[in-house]
Amino acid sequence: MRTTKLTPDEVRSLYKMHGAALAAYACSFGLDHASAQDVVQQLFLKLLEGRPLAPHAPVAYLYRATRNASLNLRRNLRRETDLHTAELWFTHPGGGHDEVLNLQNALKELPDEQREAVFLKVWSGMTLQEIADVTGTPLNTVASRYRYAVEKLRERLIQRFRR
Amino acid sequence: MSLYDDETERYLAEFRPRAVQPLEPMPKGRDAPLLWVAAVVAVVLLAVGLLWFAHREAGRLREAANIQPRKVSATRAWRYESTLALTRLALEDGERLESLLAGESRKELPPCRGEQSTLSVLAKE
Repeated sequence: MRTTKLTPDEVRSLYKMHGAALAAYACSFGLDHASAQDVVQQLFLKLLEGRPLAPHAPVAYLYRATRNASLNLRRNLRRETDLHTAELWFTHPGGGHDEVLNLQNALKELPDEQREAVFLKVWSGMTLQEIADVTGTPLNTVASRYRYAVEKLRERLIQRFRR
Repeated sequence: MSLYDDETERYLAEFRPRAVQPLEPMPKGRDAPLLWVAAVVAVVLLAVGLLWFAHREAGRLREAANIQPRKVSATRAWRYESTLALTRLALEDGERLESLLAGESRKELPPCRGEQSTLSVLAKE
């Protein structure tokens, strides 16, 4: 696969656009927010130092790398974040603490591929077609993953959602 | 996707990931100069070691090449010289090597020739 180095400006731009979502994504693997930020920062610092990556799929690469680094760190730390006392890795305009925790817990219960699809679509702003392109997955598969994920999230959040 | 899912999606989009700290490259190498110095010292030490070794080996070879038969026969030091020197001597002057070996063997073995040799004495008896 052809790779290229991003310029520092491109790396900073990617960080600005996706850094927060990637940190939240890392949290969904059980990391606390500080560790998640470290994971994401390390990843981008490597890019700043000139690590090459596939030019057509930087966002997909970032998500995959974040997932791998988070799982490694989680394995090394051998600790789990308590689902009920977990810190918040999302904010909500209404400021609802419970609402955020509800969403976080629901996200954690999703299979990895579905969770990745939700993050890429909702918080990284990609279309299903773009997700299919950058992850090398058929569009139908991506659409199914996303649909199932949203259904599961809706079921989990439905009580709050109906208010 | 159903309208209901669109609504769910909009609801999800209301949540925003918590902000992260700005990307700040780590200060590059406060330890870098020290690493450079350590690397240079290591290279210099290695080079000095190699030079010393090469010099020592060259000296040995020179010494071995300059072995004089008379000196060798006068002492028993030849025993401790390298096989290289003996080989060289054999190639350059076979007779000298023979005499050297014969001389040295006489020092080691009981005499078996001449009037006072052990064999002669035994034969007379």
